[in-house]
Amino acid sequence: MKVIKKIIRSKLFITLVWIAVIIVIWEICAARVAEVKRTPENVLPHLSGVIDSLTSDRKINGSQTALGMVLENAGATLSRAAVGYVIGIAPGFILALLMSLSDIIEKIAFPYLMLIQFIPILGMAPIINAITGDIAVSRIVIAAILTFYPVAANTLAGFKAVRREAHELMYSYAASKLQLYTKTMIPACIPYFLTGLKISAPMAITASILVDTLQGGIGLGCLLSQSLKGAMTRYVFWDIVFFSAVIGILSFYIMGLIETLLCPYKRLEKKGS
Amino acid sequence: MAAKVNKKRRSAVQSVVCPIIFGIALIAAWQTGLLHILLNTDEYVLPYPTRILTIMGENGDKIMTNVWASVQVAVFGLIFGSLLGYLIAIFAATFPKFGSGGLTIVSAFNAIPIVALAPVIINWTKDVSSEAEVRSTVAKVIVVTVVSMASMSVNAYRGLTELPVFSDDLMKTYAAGKLTEFTKLRLPNSVPYIFTALRVSVPGSVISALVSEYFAEYVIGVGRQIRENILIAQYSTAWAYIVTACIIGIVMYAVLMVIETIVLKKRR
Amino acid sequence: MRFSKKTMAAMLAAAMIVSAFSACGSSSGSAGTTTAAAATSAAATTAAAAAGSSDSGAAMSDSDRIISAAQAGKVGNWGLGNEYEIFALLTKYGQENKFLSQAFDMDGFDDDSITLASAMTYNELGLVQNSYEGGYGYGDSVGIIDMNNEGVAMLEDNLFCTKAFAEANPNTVKAFISASMKGWKYACENPEEAAQIVFEAGSSVSSDHQAYMASEVKKLVETDTTGSTVTDYGKMDEAAMQQTLDLAKQYISLDDSTAAEKLQALTLDDIRSTAYWTDAMAGSFDAPEKTDVSIQLKWLPQAQFMGYFVAKAKGYYDEVGLNVTIVSGGGDIGETTAVNNGTVDFGVTWVSNLISANAGGMDLLEIAQVYQRSGLVLVYKK
Repeated sequence: MKVIKKIIRSKLFITLVWIAVIIVIWEICAARVAEVKRTPENVLPHLSGVIDSLTSDRKINGSQTALGMVLENAGATLSRAAVGYVIGIAPGFILALLMSLSDIIEKIAFPYLMLIQFIPILGMAPIINAITGDIAVSRIVIAAILTFYPVAANTLAGFKAVRREAHELMYSYAASKLQLYTKTMIPACIPYFLTGLKISAPMAITASILVDTLQGGIGLGCLLSQSLKGAMTRYVFWDIVFFSAVIGILSFYIMGLIETLLCPYKRLEKKGS
Repeated sequence: MAAKVNKKRRSAVQSVVCPIIFGIALIAAWQTGLLHILLNTDEYVLPYPTRILTIMGENGDKIMTNVWASVQVAVFGLIFGSLLGYLIAIFAATFPKFGSGGLTIVSAFNAIPIVALAPVIINWTKDVSSEAEVRSTVAKVIVVTVVSMASMSVNAYRGLTELPVFSDDLMKTYAAGKLTEFTKLRLPNSVPYIFTALRVSVPGSVISALVSEYFAEYVIGVGRQIRENILIAQYSTAWAYIVTACIIGIVMYAVLMVIETIVLKKRR
Repeated sequence: MRFSKKTMAAMLAAAMIVSAFSACGSSSGSAGTTTAAAATSAAATTAAAAAGSSDSGAAMSDSDRIISAAQAGKVGNWGLGNEYEIFALLTKYGQENKFLSQAFDMDGFDDDSITLASAMTYNELGLVQNSYEGGYGYGDSVGIIDMNNEGVAMLEDNLFCTKAFAEANPNTVKAFISASMKGWKYACENPEEAAQIVFEAGSSVSSDHQAYMASEVKKLVETDTTGSTVTDYGKMDEAAMQQTLDLAKQYISLDDSTAAEKLQALTLDDIRSTAYWTDAMAGSFDAPEKTDVSIQLKWLPQAQFMGYFVAKAKGYYDEVGLNVTIVSGGGDIGETTAVNNGTVDFGVTWVSNLISANAGGMDLLEIAQVYQRSGLVLVYKK
């Protein structure tokens, strides 16, 4: 009994306290805003209002309630994010592998890999759209590009971390290059690879919401910008803000879960350092 | 020995020459239209490098005005965000029980898309000043602050708590107080972690500065120019600003790396 | 190893910076080829001053309002290609061409951070005046400055496609115009029913606001810039088109000198063709070459585009053998880009946006002009 109490105290409970504190601050501010502004929901609505908008069965457009609409659009966005994510992982991993295999490739690719993260992707999006000619495809491509960088960079770091000791050991075993990779390098870099996956999961989601705003159609970002532009009640905007925050956090935790499942020896890198 | 030095030098030369050769090849393919064929696009959407450079040359003054606006936002946001993030980390390290929960909350902020964050903050800062330029800048700086805060607090927390083995005990045997332990052990230990955080948040701050400009009231900034030009279908000009944005990111990153090399070298 | 990578990246960065800045520096003196507007403003100022003094009777005159708001920096507009009429107006009253970026709600107007706010008669103005959901309920306590009356009107919603598409599929284009204009005619005759059709087609604008919008859009479609009634739906009025092009040349400033030169050289024939519309209205066209076509709207689905929704719902497109998909707009990928790269076949845009797109290198062609007058007004609290 005491043990359980302790666990609750240590982590979950404290997070809950923090959430409670934030809710209180939010509500105080919302009350103040409601007094001062004519359209408080545009600035800071009461949380009850946001919850109301999610549970109300009032139709927002011809056929859907707020919740139904958010969920349908979220489905579209998340599936695009997932496809882009999966597409981005493979080349990210392969590039890291190639870079660790060949010095020249590493030297050529590394600065350009760094460069990718400086490209303002929202600015590039219309151009990618013009190239692919299809908005859904370009949304996926952009999610893939944003996944690609963290995966490649972290996996490469993983390969590098192995290099020194394990490398020499395998050499002393007279292992072939193939053996070297299948037996040591790839298993050892998995924790890093997973870190890359963990970082890029929320990024892929954020990116596909971001890219949604570029054109109409179905998607969380479309809905978000439409609601901001006054096409529907502003509460839809708030619903999406909360929804996307929750999804972002969840994606991070789900990847963390996969990480612990895939490699119980998760903290292997500690041994190296 | 000499051979080794030679090899090292050759490797360093290679690592400068190779990417440059690749870059030149890429630009050549772009300029000759080969890239257009590969990507199945036209020179309208993907203008030639010479055209982009011409536009950049012709609009030097205007571009610089926008660059300063964006850089200010990115740098101030980065500084405030990093300081705040570090303070949060200190708080979390001193009160580990209560602090780690707070850290979770801070990293949760990171999961909120900037597109959602930017308009909210712009609405919140409406009453800051009657000057649109001032209140827009404040709003943009806050967006960047929030974005750079998370990575700093998480990394700095690791730096402040993941101490070398036994160093903690060593400090105890010295009968060092909490403050001494902090200044002599934890603070120096966190320095490399600070740079790890900055390596993530420098590009992040530039990108979020650009995105926050999209929504700002006052029309200025490299990001805003990209958007305005794309909307009125001026792709060549938009490209000029995209290139500018990349340069801002690279310069800020280069500055960071120079500082990092100097600081970390001194430590050794 | 790690160190060398860092220096390498830094050197690469440095090289890029040096090359970029040398490019900027070499010709930074030659900037600013597009500011011809200033010259015309001086003459306008004196005229405005005269006008201002003549009616300084009871309340503030419109010119006083414009001048005081402009000097306080409180004139609002959305920018992004919507600002040219405001520039023309500010120039007319001798003011600097600057505006505050206005959000898509009217909060800025409501809390007085913007005293002269841009509004479309059919959308934002309704929100300001009415008190249905999303409205601010100001009723008659607000006044408007109409761009048409000020002589700075530029034409808005049109119908366009690429030149290449029009040449390859003339009968599709004519059939599409014919059915769409039939839709507009029906919508203007029955605005309430049209509003309901748009609402049912999936618009998320409330049905009250949709009805208001339909009634206001009807006025824009059936009245020209001088206030006379128009019965030929979609006609391209020569004088109004020319005024739009002239103002566009004056107030669209492009950083790309090639595009800026091209803009100044544009003539009406470069941006529109009346032939398709004439044939379409006369009913002289054959079976369409391409039957599955799409049209991208300039904004989210709402009564602003009711003619197309009505034509679809009433089966007018089917009658001419077309299967039409209506694509919603409202994102950063403009309708001009979407049409130009072939994602969609037809588009609805403002004439000024089409002009700047063609100046930038696109080859777009206006085939009908749905709105006969400017729907942009500046709204103020009385």
